[in-house]
Amino acid sequence: MSHQPCAIIGIGQTKHKKRRDDVSLPGLVREAAQRALDDAGMNWSDIDAVVLGKAPDPFEGVMMPELSMADALGAAGKPLMRVHTAGSVGGTTAIVAAHLIENGIHERVLTVAYEKQAEGNAQWGLAGGRSGGMGAGGIFAPWMRSYIQHSGAPEDIGWKVAVKDRKNALKNPYAHLQLKDISIEKVKESPMLWEPIHFLESCPSSDGACAMVLTNEDGAKRAPKPPAWVLATAMRSELGQFPGRDPVRPQAGVECAHILYDSAGITDPRAQIDVAEIYVPFSWYEPMWLEGHDIAGPGEGWQMTESGATEITGDFPVNPSGGVLSSNPIGASGMLRFAEAALQVRGAAGEHQVDDATVALGHAYGGAAQYFSMWIVGASLDAVAQNK
Amino acid sequence: MSASLPDETIDPNAPVANMDYFMALEFKETICPVVQRYTDGLLAGKIIGHRCSQCGLVYVPPRGYCPIDVLETTEEDEVELADRGIVTNYTVVTPVQYYGQEATEPFAKVSVLLDEPGGMLSLQDVLEVPVEQVRIGMRLEAVWVPESDRTVEEIGNRSWGSADGCILGWRATGEPDVPPDQFNDRVF
Ligand SMILES: [Zn+2]
Repeated sequence: MSHQPCAIIGIGQTKHKKRRDDVSLPGLVREAAQRALDDAGMNWSDIDAVVLGKAPDPFEGVMMPELSMADALGAAGKPLMRVHTAGSVGGTTAIVAAHLIENGIHERVLTVAYEKQAEGNAQWGLAGGRSGGMGAGGIFAPWMRSYIQHSGAPEDIGWKVAVKDRKNALKNPYAHLQLKDISIEKVKESPMLWEPIHFLESCPSSDGACAMVLTNEDGAKRAPKPPAWVLATAMRSELGQFPGRDPVRPQAGVECAHILYDSAGITDPRAQIDVAEIYVPFSWYEPMWLEGHDIAGPGEGWQMTESGATEITGDFPVNPSGGVLSSNPIGASGMLRFAEAALQVRGAAGEHQVDDATVALGHAYGGAAQYFSMWIVGASLDAVAQNK
Repeated sequence: MSASLPDETIDPNAPVANMDYFMALEFKETICPVVQRYTDGLLAGKIIGHRCSQCGLVYVPPRGYCPIDVLETTEEDEVELADRGIVTNYTVVTPVQYYGQEATEPFAKVSVLLDEPGGMLSLQDVLEVPVEQVRIGMRLEAVWVPESDRTVEEIGNRSWGSADGCILGWRATGEPDVPPDQFNDRVF
């Protein structure tokens, strides 16, 4: 594919909280966008187009918010595009924005994603207003049980992921949950919400937004700070239910990962990727995606967690930001993974920086584990080749 | 994807920052002919599926196509399915109290692999079995709503409701459990 390189030169996010009553919905999105513009050394008027993503509209009850938000996003008279891919939307939105740069359609694109969960009710939205709604946790719970059974993983793996990500969040001032006294015992003794998932193994409900400014090679040269380079992007999806489907290791996820690795020139993801921000809304999804995206072999994902390989100091750090388990403004959660991957290769992740990170994976999934979006970002255009 | 602690309460002395505003939009979903055959079947006490002539997989509710083979399925592919089967997976849900939620106690939702010719019904309710006794491999049979009381109002084109209004839930048959290795490839 002949295209021009896309650089991430501005990254911004809000402080994620249970409620952001101090800002309106557009105010929340502007807060992240302004920070991304400041980071890029740009003004609203420098932007050519805006690409926005959020989870389904019934979650807040505001239909097609991108239209009423156009003014607040400085998008009046400019192309404004909305992306819809359920929980993976934040990632897909960033990919759509990157494609606009790579194909030379625009030179400077602002991409934003958000959710203001406190102003709506995602549980109600997911249940279609009916009684007996199970939430996403109820849909994913049997798949997690199936993984546990077939992989032979000990039950404390989920608790370990829950503790690790919350400890990482303590290093991230933007993270919603700041659980200073988190422990295995606390996770294990928290209420059982969706067997086998405890309350503290589940993501919170957050208000928050994320934004990035993307540009081409010329724009990157003019940027005040080092860019992150988009080295590969991939999206795949499949039906949420069909006979014979394997929702524990969905085929779309396997194919998405391999297309991504091939496109980035990665032959050994565990060795060639320095850090990964993986969409883990429930603890068991860490080992499930490590295996589901062939970073670990079958039954070996949980061993990576158990051995400490996925800690910030491990050989394959996963979610140094604290991940979805610590902040979950649903629509923004995928973009946060993509943005955190970019922060890492820019060396700008602050206290949760992974040493010498030059190649990073950003990942998001959504729906009934049926939509996948991933990107590989690097500190340079040849970062993968330089990495062993 | 979110969770709230069951004991989270609102401070009655805090200033009002948000107010709930409930509104309703009433609409009637026109049921497509394929789903209509399915709902007609349920009203008559039959579970109808489509079996793809190419791959042999059974779709219930029928979709009118096999997405794997990209093949249309029609009335010629209809099969009457069993109203008995095996629990292949389940979860016990602690109900979150959103507006409209009527459940207050933990409840089980099970995936039922129907006996030959097969087919899978997901998110089914279990009757007369305490949630802690729900298990993989358990044999179940459908408990039908009395014919005169059956309704298909809850069933939509996108599999909403699956058999709600016609099948009340599923109860244990009392037969021995089926070992998981007999259905490991057909869990979901
Ligand atoms: Zn077929």
